Amino acid sequence: MGRAIMIGASKGRLVAGGMAVTLGLAAALGGEPRRDDQSRAGARDPQVGKSFRVPYRLTETNHFLVRVRLNGKGPFNFLVDSGAPLLIVGTDTAAKAGLKPRRDRYWTPLDRLDFEGGARLTDLNARVEDPFQLVGMNALGLPGASIDGILGFTILARYRLEIDPSQDRMTWTRLDYHPPDPPTPDMAKGEGPPPAVQAMNAIGPLAKGLAFLMGKQPADEVSPRGFLGVTWSEGNAGGGARLRVKDVLAGSPADAGGIKSGDGITRINNQEVASIKEAQVALAGVIAGDSVTIEVDREHARKRIVVIAGKGL
Amino acid sequence: MRDDTMKRPLARNGNRRPGSIAGMAVAALAVVVVAWPARGARVKAQTPQAVAPAKARVVPFEMLPTNHMLVKARINDKGPYQLVFDLGAPITLLNNRASLAAGVIKADAPRSFLMGMRGEAEVGSLTVGELTATKLPVLVLDHPTLTALAEITGRRIDGIMGFTFFARYKTTIDYKTRTMTFDPIDYEVRNLFKDLPDRLMGSRKARRRIVAPAGLWGMEPGKPSSDLAVPGVMVDRVLAGSAAERGGLRGGDLITQIDGRWTTSTTDIFEAARGVDPGHPADVVVIRAGAEKTLSIRPDPGA
Repeated sequence: MGRAIMIGASKGRLVAGGMAVTLGLAAALGGEPRRDDQSRAGARDPQVGKSFRVPYRLTETNHFLVRVRLNGKGPFNFLVDSGAPLLIVGTDTAAKAGLKPRRDRYWTPLDRLDFEGGARLTDLNARVEDPFQLVGMNALGLPGASIDGILGFTILARYRLEIDPSQDRMTWTRLDYHPPDPPTPDMAKGEGPPPAVQAMNAIGPLAKGLAFLMGKQPADEVSPRGFLGVTWSEGNAGGGARLRVKDVLAGSPADAGGIKSGDGITRINNQEVASIKEAQVALAGVIAGDSVTIEVDREHARKRIVVIAGKGL
Repeated sequence: MRDDTMKRPLARNGNRRPGSIAGMAVAALAVVVVAWPARGARVKAQTPQAVAPAKARVVPFEMLPTNHMLVKARINDKGPYQLVFDLGAPITLLNNRASLAAGVIKADAPRSFLMGMRGEAEVGSLTVGELTATKLPVLVLDHPTLTALAEITGRRIDGIMGFTFFARYKTTIDYKTRTMTFDPIDYEVRNLFKDLPDRLMGSRKARRRIVAPAGLWGMEPGKPSSDLAVPGVMVDRVLAGSAAERGGLRGGDLITQIDGRWTTSTTDIFEAARGVDPGHPADVVVIRAGAEKTLSIRPDPGA
């Protein structure tokens, strides 16, 4: 613990020092020919005016991640970041997607960027690089998901963005607007990465070192809920149970366990259930292979039936 | 369409660099993280959020030559202060000068050794356009990236508006018209400061999460396809008489999308099915015999 604090503090200073120079990320100085927005100004994108419902994930660190495909490869998790000036693709991600950044070019061309939910952009410039926020955050495992890249201004500004954290999707509406790429360092003149970028790159491994001491946070283990194979309805016809089995799918776990159409469900795993909602709650922790005890009213008799939850939905 | 703010006069002179604040939020976060043990685990309980009158408000913003969004805000009826609006920032941050001037902190508040950080404080009211947010938690800190950004742009920059502000609203950002619209919502804004240390210092055990579909589909998904070019999940079995069968799904279909969500893993299938209420049709995109088909499946109430 004491050791971790010391390392933490020294890293803090380095972050403080490093970030001041991180500003060089999108460093200026034009010169390199870029994909020209004007050249295709005549061709209006068919998606202009369309709205897309973009699923997102809010990480534990309050960052928004959306899924994208790069030239059809993926999906990858990208951070929605209006504080970033451009599109950043992590180096591992670029390799997986088959992008080949050139040392003498600041930009790597990207033919196609698809967003989950249907939005699509073509003919883009990406910067392939591992800035601190990708390396550092991934090393700490904080967000509970890998971050593979960053969607900055040159991407986000093409949409009207509606973000409502109480909903599970954002709405992006394509605008007829092509934000220009930021100016870039003149790599053709042999300018190496600016000191700023070098300093920035030094931060990532440090964060990894910190993660080594603190331990990386494991990703959540996600399991699908187990499957029974019954449809049900609520109602009180004839009194007794309020939740009634309508149909039992042939060949389903419920069928194998002996649940019958018309059974009234009174308890699931010892919890009383009087509604569909309560039944869903009672089943919420059930995964494939679990035994589920279901108490039913059948022809005025009470029966306990054990169903082995299966795989499926 | 093109306007003056999109030209980059500063960029041309060669020795100045407009840059990214992208890292700043995270850096601030990192600072919070690393500074935490030193501060002791003093954690303020989450303050109940007060919501502004339930009416959407339009707030203009300015684009800096560095592609950052700048908003004018009044804090505790003082100002205006100039804040960078940042979707990637998990927190709202104010520098020492603005915090002092607006009475967010007192002059004798203790400073940490790091970036003059004074830790968490609360802004009584923050007003942008006609919208006022009250009791807003902020981090008081002189962030070097902000200082540098101010130098580059020649503008005074007093802080960042991040998630803790905008998560109180449905936020609409229109870069073309340079306006944002804030529409109050009922959402409990998670307090990062409260949870993060627990997560960092807490157990390393993976948390388990079970994803339940909202309805009964009547199918058994199998293995995800190994073909990167056609990512999807193969259907092993469709049960007779099920919603999936009625919708035309067949064993051997490769499901690539459900309800607009990509399905490249079993988890994806369940995450998508969680969002489809029983009785509501969902588009399901499959590849069958090499051709793409869009089916409509209406899951039943059931499990």
